[in-house]
Amino acid sequence: MFKIKKLFKRLTFGLCGIATAGLLLTGCGGDSAGGGNADSTVLKVGVTNFADTLEPTQNYFGWVVMRYGLGECLTKFDEKMNIVPWLAESWSTSEDHLTWTFKIRDGVKFSNGDPLTAEAVKSSIERAFQKNARAATFFEYESITADGQNLIIKTKKPLPGMPGYLADPLFIIVDTAAESGRDFSKEGPICTGPYTVESFVKEKAVMKKNPNYYAEVPYETVEIPSIDDPNTRAMALQAGDVDIAVNIAAGDIDIFKGNDKFLVDEIPSLRVVLARMNQNPDRILADPKVRAAFISGCDRETYNNVLLKGTFIPGKAPVPPSLDYGFDKLTDPNAYNPERAKTLLAEAGWADSNGDGILDKDGKNLELDFVVYNSRAELPLYAEAVQADLKKLGFDIKINTVDYNLIDNMGIKGEYDLLISNITTANTGDPEIFLTWYWKTNVDGNNPQNGSGYSNPEYDAKLEELNSEFDAEKRKQLIIDLQQILLNDAASIFFGYPQTNIISSKRVDGVKMYPSDYYWITNLIKPAK
Amino acid sequence: MTDFIKQNKLFTFYTALVILLVIIAIFAPQLAPQDPYEGDMRNVLQPPSDEHIFGTDKLGRDTFSRIICGTQVSLFMTICVVILLAVVGGVVGILSGYFGGKVEMILMRIADMMLAFPGVVLAIAIAGILGGSIVNTILALLAVGWAKYARLVRSLVIKLRYNDFIIAAQVNGTKTINILWRHVLPNILPMIVITGAMDIGTMMMEIAGLSFLGFGAQAPTPEWGLMLNEGRQYIQTAPLLMIYPGLAIFIVVAIFNLWGDALRDLLDPRHD
Repeated sequence: MFKIKKLFKRLTFGLCGIATAGLLLTGCGGDSAGGGNADSTVLKVGVTNFADTLEPTQNYFGWVVMRYGLGECLTKFDEKMNIVPWLAESWSTSEDHLTWTFKIRDGVKFSNGDPLTAEAVKSSIERAFQKNARAATFFEYESITADGQNLIIKTKKPLPGMPGYLADPLFIIVDTAAESGRDFSKEGPICTGPYTVESFVKEKAVMKKNPNYYAEVPYETVEIPSIDDPNTRAMALQAGDVDIAVNIAAGDIDIFKGNDKFLVDEIPSLRVVLARMNQNPDRILADPKVRAAFISGCDRETYNNVLLKGTFIPGKAPVPPSLDYGFDKLTDPNAYNPERAKTLLAEAGWADSNGDGILDKDGKNLELDFVVYNSRAELPLYAEAVQADLKKLGFDIKINTVDYNLIDNMGIKGEYDLLISNITTANTGDPEIFLTWYWKTNVDGNNPQNGSGYSNPEYDAKLEELNSEFDAEKRKQLIIDLQQILLNDAASIFFGYPQTNIISSKRVDGVKMYPSDYYWITNLIKPAK
Repeated sequence: MTDFIKQNKLFTFYTALVILLVIIAIFAPQLAPQDPYEGDMRNVLQPPSDEHIFGTDKLGRDTFSRIICGTQVSLFMTICVVILLAVVGGVVGILSGYFGGKVEMILMRIADMMLAFPGVVLAIAIAGILGGSIVNTILALLAVGWAKYARLVRSLVIKLRYNDFIIAAQVNGTKTINILWRHVLPNILPMIVITGAMDIGTMMMEIAGLSFLGFGAQAPTPEWGLMLNEGRQYIQTAPLLMIYPGLAIFIVVAIFNLWGDALRDLLDPRHD
């Protein structure tokens, strides 16, 4: 009896589901791309999401907390990557540069009504240090003290990047006092942003208006489905299932550019697509000549201008030209030159001794394991283009497609010959952290992101210098020098620099892509009049 | 011969088509007008033209050549899978049907276990764990499919097991291996062949499905499922990239299914 009842229940549910789906379909059918979503109190945003929870200190999940309009930091980056006040009204540093004072904005409340005090900020930052070891790779403090609305951070050495470090989503300010009654990782943290969490699973988040926000919040509800496949995201936007979609792929963007129902905001991003090259001693790529040959054999101009239809700028150096760090002054010794690549390979002792078209040396084929993930449409395309180009030189490149979640760990453990990723170069406002994480010598895991085995004492010394240099001109020169070292050493291959885009239906207003891709949903997005 | 053709017009027609496909597959490298792996990256996503009758794909490779060479990859993988299935399933089935007892119990319980899983999902899981490659796809489909053959063969063997001619062979002191080879196998072979022939289409779909999901053939292999997946990114801007491999799968699977049906009618007239 019980079973039959259950079955009946399921059947009813199923039928209801089909009926609703039918209704929805007919409802939207008449006015596709015009607007299935007529309700101006609900905003729907199609995103990619890698976060399993909304705990800002877990992995990089803070990014999602910020993108969803939930969390805010003391500082933020504007559209020109200047550091501007957010929860901190202003800041200053002492004469010896060892003490930073941040003045916390008055009248700000957490979404539960608690006031934002310097004390609350202090315990939130301490919490980040306690919960995530990455915090210490930004800066180490001697003490943090709260004095009224002033937050005072003392450091052991002068750290010019401090205001930028605190803009990283790892340092999202949460109400630690609320943690006793709430599981942040399941229910979402209590923050100060315009929206609060109603429900969150990896596939979909529903946000509600924060009643205590210090400015006007235009929508009652924000629905954020994660649509990881870029083509599906484009179709959802066309069909009116979402009002806004981020990062539409190169193949689809022209559909929206030519359509007056949509607004495309496309800007050069701060990102670079690079492939780390594993140069640990037992690897083929340990030989700098093979690395140089590899890079010389890749026709990056064509990949970016033709295959990706110019949505990417051809790569050369670690830092994209959208940031002013001497892109044009840098010389790439390994610019496209297949003839040179052939000579280099011959010099390194690789020859095709058995006539199978693949070079070999000491009985070993020139076979490389190229690790790729699929959630960004351009990555497999680069990999396949490289595979085709380098086959002509006698490389046998095996593309190994893995899930995005495995990439981080594979990078740390060095389980690859080449590992492609799309990385932001200026998460703290300048490339210091980026240049440190991926190429500073890694001794016994003290710089875990550098699993490639790259090490150059000259590079490490310049990084050390950069870390405590306050003078902007000198910093710039150091960053240029660091990049040139990486280029000379053929440390990694830099494929290209993406444009980043956010596309919105004309039903909404105020949608903007920032070069730093932390800010997607803001209180500036409102229904169009 | 002519009588046979006259009496089995459909079967002859389908067989001719199958032979044509096999010829295309074997001579694919010679038939393809261009190298399926090498393209001109400056001419990507071209519409059909005199030079490229199906246009070019995302890396500027000739789509027509890739489809032709795909016949070889798909057909080779499918035939491998079907033959392996018949061999593994056949051996297990004959052993358990003929010997019975503990051998049968152990082998059949394992087969039951495999049958309890939903086939494609298990194949995806196995291919996912082993990592995507042509060999692993074949292994995954083999692991999932052998139980069906084992079950079928076992029941056929049980039916034969106590027939007089087998008992007679036993009484005469024929070696077991010879009984299985001379008396059992020839009697069950037609059913195995029919089942195998009718499975070719299904297996081809499953192979293409696994490749589409990224668990089968890997780039740059010209495999239809993989080509479908590659075309997916351009479904709005260059839909032909999906239509050609889709049509190829459709046509080939249809031919093999029709041929399998015709073969069954021919070999097993009792079947309605």
